[in-house]
Amino acid sequence: MDLVSYFGPLLQNAGVFIILALGLNLINGIAGQFSLGHAGFWAVGAYVGASYGAFFAPAFLPDFVNLLISNVLGIIAASIAGVLVGVPCLRLRGDYLAIATLGFGEIIRIIINNLDVVGGPRGFTNIPHWSNLFWIYLWVVLCIIMLANLLRGTHGRAIISIREDEIAAAAMGINTTKYKTLAFVIGAGMAGLAGSLFAHAQQFIHPSSFSFMWSVIILLMIILGGMGSMTGAIVGAVFLTFLPEFLRLCGETVSEWRMVIYSLLLILLMLLRPQGIFGKHEFNLKRLWPSKGGAK
Amino acid sequence: MTEQTSYFFWDLGQYLLNGIAQGSIYALVALGYTMVYGIIRLINFAHGEFYMVGAFVGLFLIQAHLPFLIALPLAMLGSGLLAVMVERLVYRPIRKAGKIQALITALGVSLLLQYLGQNLLGADPRPFPDALENKTYMFGELMISKIQIIIILTTVILMGALRYLVMHTKIGKAMRATSYNLEAAELMGIDTNKVISFTFFVGAALAGAAGVLVGMYYNTVEPMMGLIPGLKAFVAAVLGGIGVIPGAVLGGLVLGVAENLVIGFWVSTYRDAIAFAILIIILLIRPAGLLGRNTREKV
Amino acid sequence: MSVILKADALTMRFGGLLAVDKFCMEVAPTDLLGIIGPNGAGKTTVFNMLTGMYLPTEGRVSLLSEDVTDLYPYQITQRGLSRTFQNIRLFKDLTVLDNIRLAGHFRLRYGLLRSILRTKSFHAEEDQLISEARELLKIFGLEKKETLLARNLPYGEQRRLEIARALAIHPKVLLLDEPAAGMNPNETKELTALIRWVRDHFKIAIVLIEHDMALVMNVCERIYVLDHGVEIAQGTPAQIQSNPAVIEAYLGAST
Repeated sequence: MDLVSYFGPLLQNAGVFIILALGLNLINGIAGQFSLGHAGFWAVGAYVGASYGAFFAPAFLPDFVNLLISNVLGIIAASIAGVLVGVPCLRLRGDYLAIATLGFGEIIRIIINNLDVVGGPRGFTNIPHWSNLFWIYLWVVLCIIMLANLLRGTHGRAIISIREDEIAAAAMGINTTKYKTLAFVIGAGMAGLAGSLFAHAQQFIHPSSFSFMWSVIILLMIILGGMGSMTGAIVGAVFLTFLPEFLRLCGETVSEWRMVIYSLLLILLMLLRPQGIFGKHEFNLKRLWPSKGGAK
Repeated sequence: MTEQTSYFFWDLGQYLLNGIAQGSIYALVALGYTMVYGIIRLINFAHGEFYMVGAFVGLFLIQAHLPFLIALPLAMLGSGLLAVMVERLVYRPIRKAGKIQALITALGVSLLLQYLGQNLLGADPRPFPDALENKTYMFGELMISKIQIIIILTTVILMGALRYLVMHTKIGKAMRATSYNLEAAELMGIDTNKVISFTFFVGAALAGAAGVLVGMYYNTVEPMMGLIPGLKAFVAAVLGGIGVIPGAVLGGLVLGVAENLVIGFWVSTYRDAIAFAILIIILLIRPAGLLGRNTREKV
Repeated sequence: MSVILKADALTMRFGGLLAVDKFCMEVAPTDLLGIIGPNGAGKTTVFNMLTGMYLPTEGRVSLLSEDVTDLYPYQITQRGLSRTFQNIRLFKDLTVLDNIRLAGHFRLRYGLLRSILRTKSFHAEEDQLISEARELLKIFGLEKKETLLARNLPYGEQRRLEIARALAIHPKVLLLDEPAAGMNPNETKELTALIRWVRDHFKIAIVLIEHDMALVMNVCERIYVLDHGVEIAQGTPAQIQSNPAVIEAYLGAST
């Protein structure tokens, strides 16, 4: 078996899911806003990126430049979607917010499904293959750096304080609406980035790849890793990208029960270890960096 | 009135009628959502699966040649018992934890039941046998099928029974008390655990009934059938005012009619989107729903 | 007397319940005031109206001559009114230092981009913020604990941290909601001295809600007494102590 051709796509997927998980972790874990529509922003980025690639990309530009443009367009489009969804939804209380974002995620998917210009229910084919391991993981690293720096600055503290105690945060002068929305839009933008990278890796996308079930799987990734922990999001994403492959090796029947296993995992985590592996904290920073000025 | 306008009104009437039949089904399922939310403030994502289980139990019983009037209550019982089991095993321990944790757990249960169903029963839709020979009756240009009459009739009867239960029995009073204030109810000596389990039972039983009715209406059942109708019934409950029992009925009917008007006068592929659109509009404009209490705070 | 915080006939109705009825209060720049009354008298409701958490059913709040009644809590805080909470609302999983730094957020100038790119101005402002925070921690005796998570502090220190955090807002008026709750007499004595010191050192006005009479009578210069949402007395500690209506409210009421 050719290891590269087997692991290559798998690692690429892992990279895409790392970015997705990091984005959802910012919204759900760090800002404490429960969003169930993340796949919707992923879809926006994917379809915008794919459209650029298939319809607008100038042929004379080198591939990596086109990928960059595609990614930026995906980020922008998804961020705009994030604003459109976030502004009305973030006013709502926890469980209502969850349902509203779920609703929006589904509406996005239904709209895409009805847009024949991007293939609709037949899917979008012939997306140029511009993604590769290097570019995907370069973006992964950039995202991690961006988030780490964000979280160690005052804006990050403001976002965290909203999760910790929204009333106290407001009493301490934090415009909680603004920062909730900020976290939401950044998270959405990251999902859009992941979408564009995904589209240019898979070369074929379909509305069903961005269904509510995928929002739940990304959620499971961050719950497993620990909501609020970036390390956790990365570990959860990698684990749940490789798990289906591992299950497949265990045999056909085990693989078929994959979704049952996931749902049991979700329930058991909630009952027995809701904080996941890392909880709210980062593994490396706490252990390796005895803080000089108060890290996480 | 020209012939055109007269056809328009007959068409409108037909969509309204279909909408009321469909809406009755949403109402039955929405009742379960609203009752559970009213009593423990949990959005039971898995409620759609109780509906699905009812449909399948009904399917097996009718395939075993049991008459409709026996299969229906038994299917309701099956759903109800499943709900009680889920509540005891999973929801009760999680009640003390946060709202979000409970929501995620409910999500997990929903997925578990869906995929268990898929793996144990096969993902393919199964035909639902004709338990009652279907006939259609005509009132002028309006077409109403026997099944639709049965659906509306069954719904009315079940709702009447529910109203009697909630308003005129001791356990109903306990349910109302617990939903107003759980701690106070406990202090009054009400066994809130039992009341909550019972609420789950009743809600799921109604959903199970809806499942059987849907099986008969559309002649198919499948393990994933609870997902979309479950979400829509939830929308109906929110639309009417979650936690308010008449609201679930109103919301269900409004949603059913709205959907059929979309099918009739717009594009039917957007039918599912209507529910989500209504959800978002309601949450933004009037989160308490049509019949809910409107509490507006500055913060 | 110039007035920096004014409650003008504040009334709060929750459905059928009249929680606060036409409460009036005037706070001068370095006043040390107290609001007392039996449980359920509406004291915290008054604080919640002053800080914007509740929209008063009637009445106005003005801060530094500006009508702030309709503003959001964060806006009122940014205009110089800061508070602590009855049940201590610290950011439990943030460090002691970060709890203080958080309060400095709205005064920082650097934007998102500079934060992510770690520019020089970002570092300059952050360093300034850290040293200010450390000074505050030293005043409250918490400087050695700056890397501890707030949840790991003993109760008394948590209360002190909350006051320190409220001061990091650089307020003109500080509202303390039952700062002595759960403290033993020694701690209360220290707190009394601390409150007076804070007023003298920072030159701010302080209004506190308290049940501990020793603290109130020793520290407050003027006291408002509430019972069932209505002000039944106002005056110096001596006047309040001898006021028959006050005595009846406390002894006659079923607390």
